[in-house]
Amino acid sequence: MTADSRLADRVVIVTGAGQGVGEGIARRLAEAGAVVVIAARRAVTGEPVAESIRATGGRAVCIETDVADTSSVAGCVAETTKRFGRLDVMVHNAFNGGIPHRLEDAVIDKHWTSMSRTAAWASLTCARLSEPHLAESSRRGAGGRLILVTSPSGVEGSANIPLYSPAKAAQRAIAKSLAREWGPLGITVNCIAPVAGSPALMTAFDRNPSLKSAIEARTPLGRVGDITDDIGSVALFLASDDSSYVTGQTVVCDGGSFLGL
Amino acid sequence: MNAPSGSHVRGDCSLAERLRARLAPSTRASVIVVDVDPTPTPVGDLDDAAIERLWERPMQSVIGALQEAHRGGRDRIVVVVPTLGQSGGASYAAQSALAEAARVLVKSAARQWSDRSVNAVVLEPGEWGIDSSVSGPVSIAPRARSGAVDPVPLIEWLSGSGAADVTGQTIVCDGGQWM
Repeated sequence: MTADSRLADRVVIVTGAGQGVGEGIARRLAEAGAVVVIAARRAVTGEPVAESIRATGGRAVCIETDVADTSSVAGCVAETTKRFGRLDVMVHNAFNGGIPHRLEDAVIDKHWTSMSRTAAWASLTCARLSEPHLAESSRRGAGGRLILVTSPSGVEGSANIPLYSPAKAAQRAIAKSLAREWGPLGITVNCIAPVAGSPALMTAFDRNPSLKSAIEARTPLGRVGDITDDIGSVALFLASDDSSYVTGQTVVCDGGSFLGL
Repeated sequence: MNAPSGSHVRGDCSLAERLRARLAPSTRASVIVVDVDPTPTPVGDLDDAAIERLWERPMQSVIGALQEAHRGGRDRIVVVVPTLGQSGGASYAAQSALAEAARVLVKSAARQWSDRSVNAVVLEPGEWGIDSSVSGPVSIAPRARSGAVDPVPLIEWLSGSGAADVTGQTIVCDGGQWM
């Protein structure tokens, strides 16, 4: 573990932390001293992440959570506050969906519902259920942070997965609205829009090696982001006191490939 | 594509009614007015039923309206949303999500349907109906121009040959409030 203690003893929930960007965020926040709840849909993915964090001296537990199910999110928040007495940071990263399609042929149940439930709907639910705890955290001077993981596609649209973009765009608007609504409570709300080496992207690289070189070629920094060092570090900034005057913003972490914000 | 003529306006709000009454019959665009519920709703009140009503159902309607416009052979599509999606608004989290999602969906449509020579554009004629005393100011500066906003001439221009290369864009016609 590093000597970073910016989140010492603060309690954080990271949804979708069983792999990919969520895992990277969870690891980096744990390195900074946070007690991290790995809110994964399946313990078979979440528990190993929690175990490996504990093995390196961090504090983490896994709570099985399906963000598409409101009662499951409520259970996660309730168990977190029961076990640790507080909740300071909610990171909503979990997402399910993204099948390429033609917009004119898209079927709601097949191409939209899962993305809507896990992106926009779950963002609102995570916000509602965490609000009293984040407000209490702010009153204690411990922050009170909501971080939503969106995508550059939520800004620029997508020809390949057209319904993915609006599902992610919704999260940016939610962050802006809640930044206004929760400003008087001292809670900040921000988005991260990453391009990083998630399992899904790595699988895509395996299937199509030219995709990796194409992404690297269009990226000014010439590489795909690392889930912990590149994305987790931005999440740490937004979760910590370092960002106490930043709210309603989207930080695009993509090596500079999208510059239109 | 042989685009049909005669304006086609979808939406149930008063703005949609006004556009139906005023757009010239020769306007060839399909106009989709997104019905954003103007009732302030704090996030604490956003249970599943409220999210279904304020976000999910109207967003599915937007998707369906775009698909219908495409099926109808329309080569110009104008989606009308409040600037709320870009500005955000206190007690409007779900509605702002709807407005912004509709706006970015149009970008996707513009990108994908370019192979069918379809232009899709977003028009934002201000914050109609939104209670700014609750949502907060749209921007830090006052509106540049006073007076009523009339989006009709702009929609008619977007339907014409002069706008042939305009697609995927968001055009704000609110008198210089949101910049």
